[in-house]
Amino acid sequence: MNSRTLTTLTRGGLALSAALLAACAGNGEGLDANGQPLVPGGSAPLPLSADFESIQENIFTPICSVCHAGASAPQGLRLDAADSYNLLVGVPSTEVPSLLRVKPGDPTDSYIIQKLQGHAAVGAQMPDGCPTTQPCLSATTIGFIQQWITNGAPPAAATATAVSAPLAVTSIVPEQMDSMNASPPQIMVAFNHELDVSQLPTMSAHFEKLAPVATPTVIEQVPARISLSSANLRALMIWPVRALSAGHYRLVTDATSSNQISDIAGQQVTLGAPDERGETVISTFDVEALP
Amino acid sequence: MNQRSLLCALILALVVLLRASPAAAEPYLAVEEGYKCNVCHVNPTGGGLRNDFGLTYAKVLLPAETVDNTLDSWSGKLTDRLRIGGDLRADWSRDTQPNSPSQQSFSLEQFRVYADLVILPDRLGIYVDEQVAPNGSQNEEAYVRYGSTTDGFYLKGGQFYLPFGWRLQDQTAFVRQVTGINMETPDKGVELGWEHSAWSAEFDLTNGAANATAGSGYQVTTQVVYTKPIWRVGLAGSSTSSTAGDRRMGGLFAGLKTGPIAWLAEGDIVHDDSLERTEAAGLLEADWRILKGHNLKLTAEYEDPDRAVRNNQATRYSLVYEYTPLPFLQVRAGYRHYFGIPQNNEQNQQLTFFELHGYF
Repeated sequence: MNSRTLTTLTRGGLALSAALLAACAGNGEGLDANGQPLVPGGSAPLPLSADFESIQENIFTPICSVCHAGASAPQGLRLDAADSYNLLVGVPSTEVPSLLRVKPGDPTDSYIIQKLQGHAAVGAQMPDGCPTTQPCLSATTIGFIQQWITNGAPPAAATATAVSAPLAVTSIVPEQMDSMNASPPQIMVAFNHELDVSQLPTMSAHFEKLAPVATPTVIEQVPARISLSSANLRALMIWPVRALSAGHYRLVTDATSSNQISDIAGQQVTLGAPDERGETVISTFDVEALP
Repeated sequence: MNQRSLLCALILALVVLLRASPAAAEPYLAVEEGYKCNVCHVNPTGGGLRNDFGLTYAKVLLPAETVDNTLDSWSGKLTDRLRIGGDLRADWSRDTQPNSPSQQSFSLEQFRVYADLVILPDRLGIYVDEQVAPNGSQNEEAYVRYGSTTDGFYLKGGQFYLPFGWRLQDQTAFVRQVTGINMETPDKGVELGWEHSAWSAEFDLTNGAANATAGSGYQVTTQVVYTKPIWRVGLAGSSTSSTAGDRRMGGLFAGLKTGPIAWLAEGDIVHDDSLERTEAAGLLEADWRILKGHNLKLTAEYEDPDRAVRNNQATRYSLVYEYTPLPFLQVRAGYRHYFGIPQNNEQNQQLTFFELHGYF
């Protein structure tokens, strides 16, 4: 092969491959932002940016909530649109409780970033199975989450401006009659307003394990701890002081506790509903014995 | 097959048939010189700790200016049996995406140290590749090696990078991301290797990333490379069985030296049973050593994340200038432009970076 032929090959190869490869980028017609075919009637997707709504729509919902959803979501972490913010921001990780899943202003010490980057001390890199069964999130994509955390991890704009509606419970996780395959790390009660943290000392609750008979009989009580993270004043967290064994449970407020919750503007709402014995039941759920 | 699909298939075929060059941490150097990976690296599949010749190459042949006497005694050997080395990469990068503010930052990309302990010369040794920073210490490779890595069979056992295609320095290349085999994803298991004349071959039995937590199967990976002075060609395949879903991959890669330019090409196909998805990725790279110590790298890449979905392909182009003024110091400046579906900002980002690379 002489030098002229080599030069011609070199130039030709460069020009041809560059031109042809450039023609191959997809035009995105009929696809959503994740490159998946559009569902008829679906709305236009948000572009990925460093705000929670976009991160939810582009990452948590299509990728994470495939597993992190429902009563048996891994680590009790639901990443569906209704619950993800309240279960992430200011909530201790179950794998490394000294780290918050999302610590506003500090992406390095936010457990979610460590899990996505594959540097967490416990467990596998997320998304689970990456890069074998699905791609890992790129550094740029993780960068948007880091930037959102650096910005203080604010909630979606719609949530932040919902204060005109009356104070109300928007979500309880686990939901009524959920059945889980492990002890829930906590019960999360979410509200549409920021709560008044000064009322916490007046509140107390416990878990009751009920016998599987027609008339509910309490066979075990597990004390609970109630907390409200300063990073997210919309989510009340109620933690069992020890893991719950398999059985049928309900979370009830103590007889001495107030079941009225106030927001920072003084609006009140009643937490839970009274049962036939006059106790206020916040949530009822089952913990299944693992096979 | 419509015209667009046909065109893309032709391009992939061209990328492969153009026979650009083969793989190592900087595989274009191997293609330029006609070397196999084990000529410069302790690890026969390339990357990581450099051997005597690799260090001499780094001291004399690679940099624009050599340093007299000062480095003559440096061979990385602390004793006759223990050799160390390392790589540190620090960079500044700016990432610009449509409809989003640019992000820019300085970062410590990686600091890795390597060590190789020869217990029985040419027969038994222990190799370690440890990432020291960022994010604390993390083991990348740690294996026992038995046999000859220069001519004959050898056996590795422990944790190591899998052999599959070009072992590129850029771990974000489409071919390295789609296959999931790169220098950030070591696996645990055993490798049987064979080096003889122009041939290199590896057979690996490892856990597979999908079994990291489930432990429900294995990954089998094999690669064969044939190396001649101005060209080489390699074939790689991998199959993972797992309750999380089986995965099969095939790759063809090649290298060619034409005058001052070294070409590398790779085409890969990946099929995931659980996702019912077939992905394809291609790479074409040209490295032009303009002067001693100066290299201009141009790459064109292609990715089809799901062959069953139309209009979703992505491409990426990079222009990187590498300047090696002195032994063991390299400065890199680069620009990458991604082209993808317009509704995905990340697929249309532009990345500019400057990198300082120190190694020993």
